[in-house]
Amino acid sequence: MNPYVLDKPAILERLGGDEDIFAMMVDMFLNEQDNNRQALLAALAADSAALQREAHTIKGLLATFSDGLGAELAQALEYQAKSGLVDDAQARVTELLARVDEVAGVLRGLSAG
Amino acid sequence: MHKVLIIDDSEINLTLIRALVLKLGECEPVMFDHPLKALEWCRGNVPDLVIVDYMMPEMDGLRFIAAFRALHGRTEIPVLMITANDQKDVRYEALLGGANDFLTKPIDRIEFSARVRNMLALRTGQKFLADRAAHLAGEVAERTRDIRERERELIFRISRAAEFRDPETGAHIQRMAHYSEIIARGLDLDAATCNLILQAAPLHDVGKIGIRDHILLKPGKLTPQEFDIMKQHAMLGYDLLKDSGSEILQAGAEIARSHHEKYDGSGYPRGLKGNAIPLFGRIVAVADVFDALTSERPYKKAWPLDDAMRFLEEGRSTHFDPLCVESFIAGWEEVLEVRQRFRDEEAPKI
Repeated sequence: MNPYVLDKPAILERLGGDEDIFAMMVDMFLNEQDNNRQALLAALAADSAALQREAHTIKGLLATFSDGLGAELAQALEYQAKSGLVDDAQARVTELLARVDEVAGVLRGLSAG
Repeated sequence: MHKVLIIDDSEINLTLIRALVLKLGECEPVMFDHPLKALEWCRGNVPDLVIVDYMMPEMDGLRFIAAFRALHGRTEIPVLMITANDQKDVRYEALLGGANDFLTKPIDRIEFSARVRNMLALRTGQKFLADRAAHLAGEVAERTRDIRERERELIFRISRAAEFRDPETGAHIQRMAHYSEIIARGLDLDAATCNLILQAAPLHDVGKIGIRDHILLKPGKLTPQEFDIMKQHAMLGYDLLKDSGSEILQAGAEIARSHHEKYDGSGYPRGLKGNAIPLFGRIVAVADVFDALTSERPYKKAWPLDDAMRFLEEGRSTHFDPLCVESFIAGWEEVLEVRQRFRDEEAPKI
């Protein structure tokens, strides 16, 4: 999978060019990263409905930061969970969490810089 | 200030939407991360716009909209639902379920602002129409009150016009009308009917306008021929008032025609008997005779109250409807108050 590249101009355009809102979104993404990870893992251990919902949440988060590939990963998991067929769920969750970490890393760099 | 209710289980979305709503100005965001808590808030508060996420645990956006719309007075309030682009089936269902429009995730500020502004403009229009409707209803009620008041005043003045040509006084009209109302209440008639007889009873002798002065104002006893002419005032009053669109004048017409009927059929103009005499006529007969007896006239002294009451009692079932006499006597305390309130020497109160 291609590495995540932050397209800040595209994100800013969607936020109406508002740097404050952008900064706030980055902070929240980073603050919520652990919670989202825990929630996705808990959903994996619970049932397909919970997994569908958590995958949906992460899809939204990644789409907010214009991570098309990450959002697709999350969507594939969401759809699979919806139809109840999640054979390789563990692997997909691991892959998705790695992507979230990657995006967080880029955003953290931005925040520090 | 528009109250914008935002419901999303994701904190980051709540924060983003709140920030975007605040940027619009004139908006007060109210946020909930749980739809059930939001519904609880909606029971006591009316938002101007609802922005609700579709996918939430326990209660999704569709079920929230259904529950929200079921609350009293919340059917028109605009609702925006947040969905992902790929949830076309959800969108169809939401439209059928009462969502007004959608917001697509990830949220785009231009689309967000345009749609939210449209929904708030819709809400402003709704409020304007509701305020205007309430305002107009108030105006209509006020005008109707004015017209009713004018109607009441005109009826009293018409009644007075008849009495001006007669030794009877304005105070007589007031007393007999209130006596009639006391009897009506004693007969357990509803409040509107009691008020109707109070308003219409003054018209009982309005037909006297059509009786020539030499008969109406004759100081001595009328000859049988003259009395026949005098009796015509009942039908004259009826003819004057009948077919009116006014409920009061219609009742007045009936009272004018029937207040000289007697219970045993010996009255006039139609010689009706018992309950064939309209109830208002039976009531007014008691009230009118009692006041005529107990008032002083150029040709007679006022009867003592006891004598007048005895006259009513003795006239049960012959002259008067016995139930009306009973009701009048049962309201004796009030009768005395009315006598005290409307005395002959005082100028009539309009």
